[in-house]
Amino acid sequence: MPYDLTPASPYWIDNRARVRQLQAAMAANGLDVYLASRPRTMSFIMDAFCPWRSYLVVPAKGDPAFFTFVIDATRVADETWLPEDRVRAYAPMGGQDQASAISSFVLEELGLAKGRIGYEDGMSTWTPEGYLSHYEYEAFRAALPGFEFVNSHELVDAMSVIKDAGTIARFREASRQVDEGHRAVREAISGGGWKGLTETVIGGIAALAMRRAGSVSEWNFAGLNEISSGRRSALGACTPPTTKPLAAGEPLMVDLHSMHRLALGDHSHNYLIGPATKAQRRHADNFVDLVSTVLGAWKAGSTPSGLAEVMFSRAEALGCSDFVVPGCEHGIGLFGDEWRIGSAADSPIPYWTDPDHAYAEGEMVICAMQYASPGDGLGFRYENPIVIGAGGVEALSKYPLGIEEV
Amino acid sequence: METTKYLSPAWGAIAKAKLLAELDPAKMNGASASMSNVYEGCADGKDRYLFLECSDGALARFEVGEGEAPEAEFRIHGSYDTFASITRGELGSQKALMLGKLRLKGNMAKALRLASLADRVNKVLAGIPTEY
Repeated sequence: MPYDLTPASPYWIDNRARVRQLQAAMAANGLDVYLASRPRTMSFIMDAFCPWRSYLVVPAKGDPAFFTFVIDATRVADETWLPEDRVRAYAPMGGQDQASAISSFVLEELGLAKGRIGYEDGMSTWTPEGYLSHYEYEAFRAALPGFEFVNSHELVDAMSVIKDAGTIARFREASRQVDEGHRAVREAISGGGWKGLTETVIGGIAALAMRRAGSVSEWNFAGLNEISSGRRSALGACTPPTTKPLAAGEPLMVDLHSMHRLALGDHSHNYLIGPATKAQRRHADNFVDLVSTVLGAWKAGSTPSGLAEVMFSRAEALGCSDFVVPGCEHGIGLFGDEWRIGSAADSPIPYWTDPDHAYAEGEMVICAMQYASPGDGLGFRYENPIVIGAGGVEALSKYPLGIEEV
Repeated sequence: METTKYLSPAWGAIAKAKLLAELDPAKMNGASASMSNVYEGCADGKDRYLFLECSDGALARFEVGEGEAPEAEFRIHGSYDTFASITRGELGSQKALMLGKLRLKGNMAKALRLASLADRVNKVLAGIPTEY
């Protein structure tokens, strides 16, 4: 939809200020141009949904220029705050391929013959992270021979760790939409309604409810909501739904993803489809206890390793440490920013979470906890976007924590 | 039929008169844009250009000449033979771009919106009895 935000809107983000902040960081790092290629950078600067392969060229001064596949350029121009003449396209035509169009902009419109270009390279856990490919890197180097290329993604990453009020408000709304999805799923499966439903249908029921509540997409890398039941719930983290029918005596994991103005709803809720065994009930109660314990301990200054200690200590006390999957969180930001914690790429294992990262006030992550007992054919997942504060966290999805038997 | 040498001053005068007569501003979508076609490697070894500017859908300026082309919002480079094939109707301009025989400089997103207008211009020019 057309860009319609004003500073009076609760969802307002000062995108021009973000550009100026990035340009100041570029100046401090001796960069003349920043060539972005990751969706997270497009979302953060453009404030528009840019799913096609896109590039953002940020000059030292003035507005950036955006380049995307020609069929989507007009829509992006309609949705972004950028002036229309700064939204460009590339196409499979002479002089209009990606390297030609962008190098022409740098050489002719910016009037630069040499300098330093920041680009985005790295390693990711989810495939569409959008780092510059080796082929693209070589093509841009050949098209811009006077320039030194410097990996600089950390400039944008550092700017996007602490969330502003508009971003947090968007996440709150996305979480409200997710809660509507959960309510629709609960209504559908209650009172024996689960009979004849499959995991994919559950995902669809939630998707329709969230769209009706205003969500524009089920955004994640599985391309949809993540639903699993029975033994699949114990197999691991990524659970795209299958056509498996729900069955009595099995767990059901419902992990829903909404999107509101590029902010991502991400909340997992779990069920036991009755009749539940005593062992299943015990596992369920243990998991709820662990989530409550970790959420209660989280605050500014906490670290991933410290929270893991809290979680495992409690699991030892409950006698369920064999079933706890390591890790309590993953990163989150506007569309495309989903995995790394913090901004530094120099953690002990590069591009993975720094176990000693100290969470700061105003930082957001997904509290993400997983419990798996393959022997019992059972697993649970909890996810919820949280805003970290000085004395604790705000969990944005308000759907009640619990594992119900239906 | 009497023909006129392609891109000569006489051809340019005919082309301008024909465009003014046959291009209906009402069907040009109120477009304001300028374009320089740069013909590389003409038979005499020189480069030539065709420059066209529209303002609010009406032809505002049209020139053909030798040497450096006027500044324009869009510049299309290609060989004389490629442009001649397009004007003769033997090669579509879109295909020439997709084959890389023409190289477009300028905002592709805007160029796409103007593509049908460029086709109308080419059709008018194709109606000139021309010696290539």
